[in-house]
Order: sequence, then C-alpha cells, then structure tokens
Amino acid sequence: MQPQMAPQGYPQPPMAYGAPGAGPTAAHQITHGPSFAMLRVDLRPGETLVAEAGAMIARHQRVGMEVKLNAGRSAGIFAKLKAIFIALVRKAIGGETFFVNHFTTPQSGSVWLAPALSGQIQYRRMQGETLVLSSGAYLAHMGDVDLKLKFGGLRGMLAKEGAFFLAVSGLGDLWYTSYGGIEYVDVNGSYMIDNGHLVGYEGNLTFNIRTAGGGMMGFMASGEGLVCEFQGQGRVWIQTRNLGALVSWLSPLLP
Amino acid sequence: MRYQLVQKPDFSAVRLQFDQPGEQIVAESAAMMGRDTAMDMKTQLQGGLFAAAKRKLLGGESLFTNTFTATAPGQSLWLAPGPEGDVEVIEMNGQFPVFLNSGAFLAAPPSVNIDTKWQGAKGFFSGAGLFLLAASGHGPLFFSAYGGIHAVDVGGYGYVCDTGHVVGFTGGLQYTVNKVGGLKSLFFSGEGLVCHFRGQGRLWISTRNASSLVSFVHPFRPVSSG
Amino acid sequence: MNFEILHRPAHSMARVHLNANESVLAESGAMIGMSPNVQMQTQAGGLMSGIKRMFGGESFFRNTFTAHNGPGEVLLAHALCGDMRTLEMTQYGYFVQSSSFVASTPNVQTETKIGGFKTFFAGEGVFVLKATAPSPGALLIGAFGGIEELQCDGNLVIDTGHLVAWDATLDYSVGKSGSGWIASFLSGEGLVCHFRGQGRIWIQTRNASAYGQAIGSMLPPRSA
Repeated sequence: MQPQMAPQGYPQPPMAYGAPGAGPTAAHQITHGPSFAMLRVDLRPGETLVAEAGAMIARHQRVGMEVKLNAGRSAGIFAKLKAIFIALVRKAIGGETFFVNHFTTPQSGSVWLAPALSGQIQYRRMQGETLVLSSGAYLAHMGDVDLKLKFGGLRGMLAKEGAFFLAVSGLGDLWYTSYGGIEYVDVNGSYMIDNGHLVGYEGNLTFNIRTAGGGMMGFMASGEGLVCEFQGQGRVWIQTRNLGALVSWLSPLLP
Repeated sequence: MRYQLVQKPDFSAVRLQFDQPGEQIVAESAAMMGRDTAMDMKTQLQGGLFAAAKRKLLGGESLFTNTFTATAPGQSLWLAPGPEGDVEVIEMNGQFPVFLNSGAFLAAPPSVNIDTKWQGAKGFFSGAGLFLLAASGHGPLFFSAYGGIHAVDVGGYGYVCDTGHVVGFTGGLQYTVNKVGGLKSLFFSGEGLVCHFRGQGRLWISTRNASSLVSFVHPFRPVSSG
Repeated sequence: MNFEILHRPAHSMARVHLNANESVLAESGAMIGMSPNVQMQTQAGGLMSGIKRMFGGESFFRNTFTAHNGPGEVLLAHALCGDMRTLEMTQYGYFVQSSSFVASTPNVQTETKIGGFKTFFAGEGVFVLKATAPSPGALLIGAFGGIEELQCDGNLVIDTGHLVAWDATLDYSVGKSGSGWIASFLSGEGLVCHFRGQGRIWIQTRNASAYGQAIGSMLPPRSA
C-alpha cells in the first residue's frame, strides 16, 4: 500500500499550525513502515531540514547539502568545542558521528532519508515539551528544535548506545527511528530496560545505568549487558531489536 | 501467564504478563528487552554444566539461560531474539515432540522440557550446523528465526529444503541430508546441503539464512593483525 | 511460470510455480526449498570471477531449476532482509546492482562487464550488471529494505548504496556527495549517482554497507 510518487508535483502539504513560532508542519511522508521505513520531506523554498549525517538516500539536484556540527541552535564557542570533542569520542568508540547535514533549496525539492538499521521512523510535532532520545534514535528535525547532548555516565560509556542521550525540546518537527518495531511501557514505579533496546523516554523519570542483575555472574553470563533502571512516572519507548544481541547471535557462526 | 506476540512478522517480540507470583519462564540469554524491576532474574547453566556444554557445542544455544520469576501479580516482561525476523509460538500439549534448529529457541516455561538430540555425522558438513533441540511437555514454546517463518505441511511427496533454512519440524517427519546437483554444484552453486523431508508433519523454514549474513559481513569485519 | 512473493515486505521470499519442463534461472544460494521433482543445474559464469566473488557478495553463477514429470515449485530469497518484486523486461533492459539480482526467466541475458562502475559501490564484490531480453520475460529483484520506485523526470541524486535497479534509458554519472573528500567523510555520505533523463529508478530504503559497517565493526576480527 505504498502511495505512488507523482512524476511531477508533490502531495499537498498539511496546513496544520502548532504553537506560535513553530511554523507550518513539514510536508513529509513516511513510507515502507513499519520495518524499512523511509522518510521523504518536501522542502518549501527557504525551509531547512537538519538530518543525521549519512542518512540521505536521494535528493533533487537543486537541494543543497551542507555539513555542520550538531552543536545545538544557540551554541556558543564552548558548546561547539564540546560538540567537536564528543564527535571525536563517538567516532572513536563507534556510533554516530554527530555531524548533521543541512538541506535547503531556494525553490522546492525533496530529500529522502533513512537510518542504517531496519525499523520504523516516527514523526512527532514538538510543542515545547522535552523528549530524551537514545543517541542512535535521532534522524532529523525542522523548525525551532533544540538538541542537547547529555552524558550517560561512565557506566553508560561501556555500552555504545548508553554513552550519550539527546534531550530534544522546542517547537517544530522531529523524526526518530528504531531498530525493529517500537513499543512503549508506561512506568509507574520502577522498570528496567535493556540498554540496547531503549529508544527514548519522557515524563517525570530518572534513570540509572546498571548491570542486569545477578552480580558479576549476571553481567557476564546472562547476555544482558547493561540495563537502564527507570524510576518515577512517564513513558519509555523500546525497540524490538538490539544490535548487541544480533552480534552475539552471529558471532559463534563466524569462521 | 498471558502473552502477546507484537511487531509481527518482521521484528517480532513477546510481551508476557504474569498473573501470580511464582510463575516462571526460561529464556535464552540476551533475550530480555525490559521487565518490572521487582521481578526475579536468575542466570543458570541450564541442566547443569555437562548438559549445558553439550548444548553449547552441539545446539548452538548459549550455555546460559535466564529464569524469570514473578514476585507480584501483574508484572510484565518483554523478550526479543537476536536476529531480525519472526517469532512463533506452539502450545505444546504433551503429545508430539517438536525439534528446533540450533539458535531457534527463544523461551518456554519450565513445564516444557528442552533436550539436545545428537545428530551424529548427518548434519556435520552443513556449515552452520544442523543440530537439534527436542522440546516436549506442556506449555507455550516460543521460537524465532532469521527472516520470516514459512510453514510447509509435508505430505506424500515430501519436501526438499536447504539445511540453513530449517527452523523446526514436528516429530512425525523423517529426513535425509544430501548434496544437491553433484560436486560442482556444492562449490559453485551456493547451495550447501539439502534436507529431504518425508512423512506427515509440519516443517518450518526461515526465509533468510545465517550463513549468507556471515558471508555478507565478512569484508566489514576488522582484520586481526598477525 | 509465475512468481508469487510471500512474507513481504521484510522477509520476502518468492515462490516460483513452474509448469512441467519449465525452467527458472536463479542466483547461486537463492534456493530455500523446492518440490522433489525439480532438478538443479549450474551454469558456468566464468570460473575465476566466481571464485573471486565467493566472499562478501555475488558469486555470479546462475542455477537452472527445471520441473520434471509435472509441475513444481521453487522457493527463492536473497541474502539480506527486505522486499522483492518482479520487473517486466522492456526493449531497453535494466541495470541491476548485483546483489539485488535473484532470478529471471531463462531468456534474460546478463552482462557483467560494464564500464565506468569501478568505484560505484562502497562494498566489495558488489557490481552492476545489465539485463536484457530479446522477448518478453521477467526479472526478480530483491532489496535490502523496502523497494520504492522513483520517477526520474530531469535529474535525481541518489546514494549508490541504495540503488537496486534502473531503466537503461537513463544517463548516469558517479560522484562524491559533498564537495571535497573532507565534506564527504564528515557528512557520512559516500558516493552518489547523478541521474539525468527519463526513466524509473528502484531504490532500497536501507544501505547494505552502512549496515555491514554497523555490525562488522562489533564482530571479532578475522584473519586477513
């Protein structure tokens, strides 16, 4: 049930307006969900789409692409230095580089984006709330959206996905991804999520990264690496696949 | 205990909800996505050291399993397998056994008995290894595959299947392993070995196989120096 | 013969229904299962190139599966998770990324030595082939991810890792994505293909080498 791409012209953009200052909703379409979702954004003249580096599949020739550091909108020199440092660390330990591409066009044009791992793309209209995403989950945004890097703590550094989180806030459009399908848990008390399965969370939650349980034997043997233990009230989004589990399934089969 | 298979068929996972404290489920290690913090989790060498080692060497399943025990009513647990693909459940009713390929076992309550059945030389050359686990007893048996799970009801003529794609089959089937198409085909055809099933029963095959993925990632692996 | 595609879109598998004595040509390693009256024969595709491509990609031998003494079926799938579809052969033919080629009717010819594609793909063992047929036929392609059909009406720039197939009527040239190597390195985009003209392009919604990198870097090292 994929909509046909018209040879000329683009689907009419929805004219929904959010909170003041947010601008009109981005004209976009998510196809091939839920498993191999792809995002197409139809840029209007002057609009800028910011997307995770490496995510572009295709674009019209007239859409310009510029690489920038993902330092946040109001980044001063210190924030920029911090972002460079973090980007180098991320490149060293693997994972996202935290460079982003800015796509703009003086006319109109389209950009097609997708993440590296198979799964869904979710759209969210940000209306001033804060959503914390696991760093691998961010795909793209448009509008007055701010991204702040949060450090996951030293124990978080042991897990590729646990090292950094992105606190997303502001007004505008946000797209994020998952490896596998997305489900959610409404936490009221205490809940543990395997670190590799975490997509994001919001609400009145604090979390603690710890080993899965069972002490030393538990950490090494149980196959569960690190878990995020959430306390409080809020919603946690989880994904149904985990790169670490794929690797531990595949490793014994390698020559 | 209640369960729900979510995100079928592509990246299926299982959401379990325990009704009573004391209810248990045994899952292969690395399967847990999330759980109520208060739930008890114990890591074990399933069946003792020797049986576990036998299963690791032969069955492909890891040495360790986790046993989750509910400590209060209404606790939930999410489980997911490693590879991308589907999860299926069979309600075992104590009558016929089910044979599962190595790596396919995801979870089952302790009332389902998991045993290793030694293949002998039959499956020896098939690369990823066609070693079988035998499941019997009562309760839901959750199994997974890399890819989709396609069920074939084997009848009079039988069915031929690439060994790397066998997920599981019911006890009424017999099988023989052969090369397909002669020696030249073995090296150049890309088909490894095939299994010819006969009898009455159900065969589950996966629409993807691990050795193709292994070949695919080979050039992306870091190269060891020395 | 007809192709029935099951388990779409992520784990698709094609069930090819063959009439008595009909054949289908399929890429090595694509067979999952078949009815016992189907026989397989390997065609030579060039011994050295076959051996060279044994790891990490297409070993471009094609097998002929023929149903004897009655109708039969063959189940086929490609290596990575994703969708499949059939393309009707046209008079111009198609360019197909090698690992996307799954099967075809026996009258489809494939040419593997296409110039200008040396640095086309980031992965090893991946190349471009041209498929043509003198009479009506069909091509079965499989992708990593979902398959989207784009209409090129003028120009389009597409990351090469996402290309599955395109009409041979299009002009194309390969280039770097950003201006300069540093920008390409930082921006994460690899090589792109600039298409001009009129025609259809099939893209896959995931990039196999990005996926390979993501997994490969976490695996134990291999000997060189």
